[in-house]
Amino acid sequence: MTAPYAASFPPLAYFGIAMVLGLFFGFFLERAGFSSALKLTAQFYFKDSAVLKVMFTAIVVAMLGIVFFSLMGWLNMGQVYIPATYLWPQLVGGLLLGAGFIVGGY
Amino acid sequence: MGVETIPRMPTPLTAERAEAMSQRMIKKHHVAIMLLHWFNATVWLTELTTGAALISSPHFRVVPYWYIALVQGFFGTRSHLLQFHITVGLIWMVVFAVYGIFGVRTYLARQVIEKEVALDRDDWRWLWVRLRLILKRTNESLPPQGVYNAGQKLFAGLVYAMVPIIMLSGLVMAFHLVSTSLVQWAIVIHFAAVGMVFSGLMIHVYMGAVFPEEKPAFFSMLTGMVNELYAYRHHFKWWQEVKMQEQIWKREVVEDIRNEPPASAPELPTPVEVLPPPPHGESRFTFTLHRVFRDPRPWPPYVAGVGLGLTLLATFVIMGQGLGASGGFTRYLVWILAWISPRYVGAHDYWSQYAQPGQSPLLDFLVFELIGVVLGGFISGWLAGRVRIAVDKGPRISKSTRYLMALAGGTLMGFGARLARGCTSGLALSGGAVLSAGAWVFMLAVFAAGFAGAYFVRRYWL
Repeated sequence: MTAPYAASFPPLAYFGIAMVLGLFFGFFLERAGFSSALKLTAQFYFKDSAVLKVMFTAIVVAMLGIVFFSLMGWLNMGQVYIPATYLWPQLVGGLLLGAGFIVGGY
Repeated sequence: MGVETIPRMPTPLTAERAEAMSQRMIKKHHVAIMLLHWFNATVWLTELTTGAALISSPHFRVVPYWYIALVQGFFGTRSHLLQFHITVGLIWMVVFAVYGIFGVRTYLARQVIEKEVALDRDDWRWLWVRLRLILKRTNESLPPQGVYNAGQKLFAGLVYAMVPIIMLSGLVMAFHLVSTSLVQWAIVIHFAAVGMVFSGLMIHVYMGAVFPEEKPAFFSMLTGMVNELYAYRHHFKWWQEVKMQEQIWKREVVEDIRNEPPASAPELPTPVEVLPPPPHGESRFTFTLHRVFRDPRPWPPYVAGVGLGLTLLATFVIMGQGLGASGGFTRYLVWILAWISPRYVGAHDYWSQYAQPGQSPLLDFLVFELIGVVLGGFISGWLAGRVRIAVDKGPRISKSTRYLMALAGGTLMGFGARLARGCTSGLALSGGAVLSAGAWVFMLAVFAAGFAGAYFVRRYWL
């Protein structure tokens, strides 16, 4: 049986796994020091590039892993959710979120 | 250190003095005022563009028919457009009410209002001279002005008088209050009051954005600061006040130093980087374990990045989707909305996607993932001894300023995230890993706006 497995879980297991994955997500974000608004905003003043480093490392690791898994036939990419592109809303939304990021600090 | 005398009237400056003054910045606006100003500007822009397209009577129509068709087409139907216009108006009123309630003494005190609208003898003469200057009938210099000049005061007075009228008449129209004839009157009054403000608004925008002499005033609305030379030349009486304050302050500092010579060197805070050496007798393994889990310093970014990447990979493989944040919050919101009014949620194009009949909007991956995020973050912080109640901010701003900034930033982020269908986690990180084109556009836009905006808010973080 190829991944993803989400559909085959009973509800309780599904939500339990969701919580565990979230737990790791929150754990690594906090480990990276992202619980501090000063650390996050330091990125934009060229004082601390942790945000870019962590984010792009994570993207590259996950990307390579996904390619590997799908090449080996373990992951069915047809069932993986890929966000659709809406060019203008995503461009404008990104600008607003970026502005909010530097104003609000998270 | 001689106390310099403050001149009674503006005198010609030497070149060096003018140069020095043009380099020195003094604070003019509080961040709360700047936020309110730009919020207000955004509301006026949206309300004027949508309001103009809502005028159905041919007698009052101020825009061409193609514009009305364009704006209504953008919103789908006229009733959607009207709903939007009313919603923005209500948000506007709520924000002003919050400012009014929490800032009664700061913004609505009698002296403050007088400074903003009351015209003294200098002001009346300023208006007269200004008028004759424009007509090229005189070349006398303008009388000295306070923190706001007479033109600004006139505009402020007009706005203060009209805004309550616009709000009240808007409420009457939106909710058909009292009687039909009152609603009909409200339409005319709403239109007339907006027209009055609009006439002043054109001058206001022209002065701020185009008129070269007032450039510092425009930038002071972004940074809160103006240079001293501008203050001296355009707002002399205010410059005098600032100087007077500075001298009082200087004198106090001098007296403090004289009265209390420092008994000992001030205590320096211990830097975090300096850690106690590992205790003797511990094996290398326990020392590593200590560094990994109990050290207050964060992990090196590439290590944390690999951990995050593996978590993301596991999520894709197990769940067939990435990690997220804002989508989960949307579902919590829909849950609350559906609890208040299921009928509203069911009829709403956007909310109803999340609320299938008979199924809770909370039965979703992201909702439970977010609970895990909170727990995981807490465990990590608790192990490292980073758990504390604190307000992270730059040293130059107060806590309440930081709260206001957080509210404003959060509002922008929430709006942006819903517009783009994702946030930094759900779209940039997860979508980026599966090479969604939109996700990369979004990510680059986020960083572009962050880097571009950083300059303007540097006072709050550095």
